[in-house]
Amino acid sequence: MVSVATRAAIDAEIAKMPEKRGALLAALRLVQAEYGYLPPEVMEEVAQIFGLHPTEVFEVVSFYNHFHVQPRGRHEVNVCTSLTCSLRGGRGLLRQLQAYLGVRAGQTTEDGRISLGHEECLGACGNAPMLRIDDTYHLDLDWVRTQQLLDGLE
Amino acid sequence: MLRITVDGTAYEVEEGLTLLQALDDLGVLMKGVDIPHYCWHPKLSIDGSCRMCQVEVEGVPKLQIACDTPVRDGMVVHTGNERVRKAREGVMELMLVNHPLDCPICDQAGECKLQDYAFDYGQMHTRTREPRRALKKRVDLGATIVFDQERCILCRRCVRFCREIPGTSELAITQRGDRSTVETFPGKPLENDYSMNVADICPVGALTTRDFRFKVRVWFLEEVPGICTGCSRGCNVHVGVADDQVRRYTPRRNDEVNDTWLCDYGRMTYQEIGAPDRISEPAVRGDAGQLVGTTLEQAVECAAQLMRTAVEKEGPGVVAALASAHATNEDLAALRGLLAALGSETHGVPIVTGPADALLIRPEKAANAEGARVAGFGEPGLLLDKIRGGGVRVLIVLGHDIIHEQFLGSPEALAALDGVILLDTHRSRLEQVAHVVIPARHLAEKGGTVTNFEGRVQAVPAALEPAFEAVAEAQVLARIASALDLSISDESERKRETD
Repeated sequence: MVSVATRAAIDAEIAKMPEKRGALLAALRLVQAEYGYLPPEVMEEVAQIFGLHPTEVFEVVSFYNHFHVQPRGRHEVNVCTSLTCSLRGGRGLLRQLQAYLGVRAGQTTEDGRISLGHEECLGACGNAPMLRIDDTYHLDLDWVRTQQLLDGLE
Repeated sequence: MLRITVDGTAYEVEEGLTLLQALDDLGVLMKGVDIPHYCWHPKLSIDGSCRMCQVEVEGVPKLQIACDTPVRDGMVVHTGNERVRKAREGVMELMLVNHPLDCPICDQAGECKLQDYAFDYGQMHTRTREPRRALKKRVDLGATIVFDQERCILCRRCVRFCREIPGTSELAITQRGDRSTVETFPGKPLENDYSMNVADICPVGALTTRDFRFKVRVWFLEEVPGICTGCSRGCNVHVGVADDQVRRYTPRRNDEVNDTWLCDYGRMTYQEIGAPDRISEPAVRGDAGQLVGTTLEQAVECAAQLMRTAVEKEGPGVVAALASAHATNEDLAALRGLLAALGSETHGVPIVTGPADALLIRPEKAANAEGARVAGFGEPGLLLDKIRGGGVRVLIVLGHDIIHEQFLGSPEALAALDGVILLDTHRSRLEQVAHVVIPARHLAEKGGTVTNFEGRVQAVPAALEPAFEAVAEAQVLARIASALDLSISDESERKRETD
């Protein structure tokens, strides 16, 4: 069951929308913030709140990269690998990260500390290569600085 | 009414329809006006995703999809000019970019829209060099359906079907772009009473029924119109016959009866036709008390003798009949005719009931329950009381529904009779008390008319010959009558002979 606070936040989002289902994305973000991911029973609960079939919620969840149906690491580290970043070393940075953490993009380290990934255009082309750790951008990176950032994560 | 012109022909169509709907209602879609389409289905909501049905509408700069373009008065449409052809070729090329070339092992081959339209709009050579996307070839969506991800063209027909017809919504299109695929919700397989319809409406070979998969190439099938015998709805089916065996039922469109659907239970009743427990040989009870195989002539004579003896001893009132709700109207008329000629008025029909739903499935589990009532056969209770009271000596029985637990539950109550003459398609415990057993034909083997629960009389031809010698019940009864020197004035029987 989603918490009372999350449920209230979902209802507040629904109130903003002309059609209830317009608030589905916002609701899924809120619920994922609470659980860390979206297991089937949670998707079903959201479907119930919105009067949708669980499969309709599943379709939306699977469409967006930012929604996860599997448990994630405590921190998300996502390297931008769009064209500009790749030209300035984004892909090289990703390769180094994979070797350093011992996981491939899309996987989570064994200690459950970091989920590594890459994504397309985070809108910081002028400061490539860059990556996102949870909700924070880290710009103009080199390997030394990246290592420091990673080691600082608990 | 609005007037539209399609390829030079004027049509009057109803307001509020889209172009494809209007042409379908006129009965000309794909029968004169060929607008290829994948995602549009007459009984499902409009999706507009496949882009195959593009046509040119005069006065509209861009091509329009016929499935989602409302008809307007004075609309002039071109469905096959060069511009339309080019557009469809483009759609086909993109659809085939990732489609596997596995037609030789694909069950849909021969009845595949992708194949058909590739002949009309496909390129001889591919312009892409990239490898085709490799996905899963065998995904179990549920107990009845197997899914091939590579063949799917993402038309969403199956998804819409599950949401709109049974309302169960097990299927979803998940992921996006070229990773899109059909999936079920985690832990919730495709499981509803109509699940196998998704294989019928799949325009390609992505969804196949586990039952029919890899069984027979469809071009070896002779598809004969038939009626499903699962319940009193009387759903129209195609009986698919190959090598003198029924291989499948698929729904045959009838908007008055079953639209384009068929329930899974009814669909599987085709297996009864070739079942190993068919009664395949006439038999009579010998001196040792065992049923002994014999010829039809002998069995008929034996049946006539039992009836003759009983009538001579105690009068015609001691001969009674149990009709079957599985028999055709012609069989039932012959039974009434025989009883009338004998002068017996003792009869009834057991109709087994079961679960029903609001879509197709009716509670009465026989195709001709209503026909039996119309023919004058009532509840069997009075007849059974008379049997228990010793007022019946010889009983003609069609089918074995009488020993269903909703009626007698066992054949013991009939054991004291002097004669039980059984005309039946399948073996049952009723044979234990029968003195004469005569094999009967299944509806698909004899054709005829059955009357559905709404009183709709539906006629079908015979789809195949039985694997053994058997004649329809009507003919068996006529032979018994002539052995008794009775003439049964049966309209339908006379009609059949003159036809």
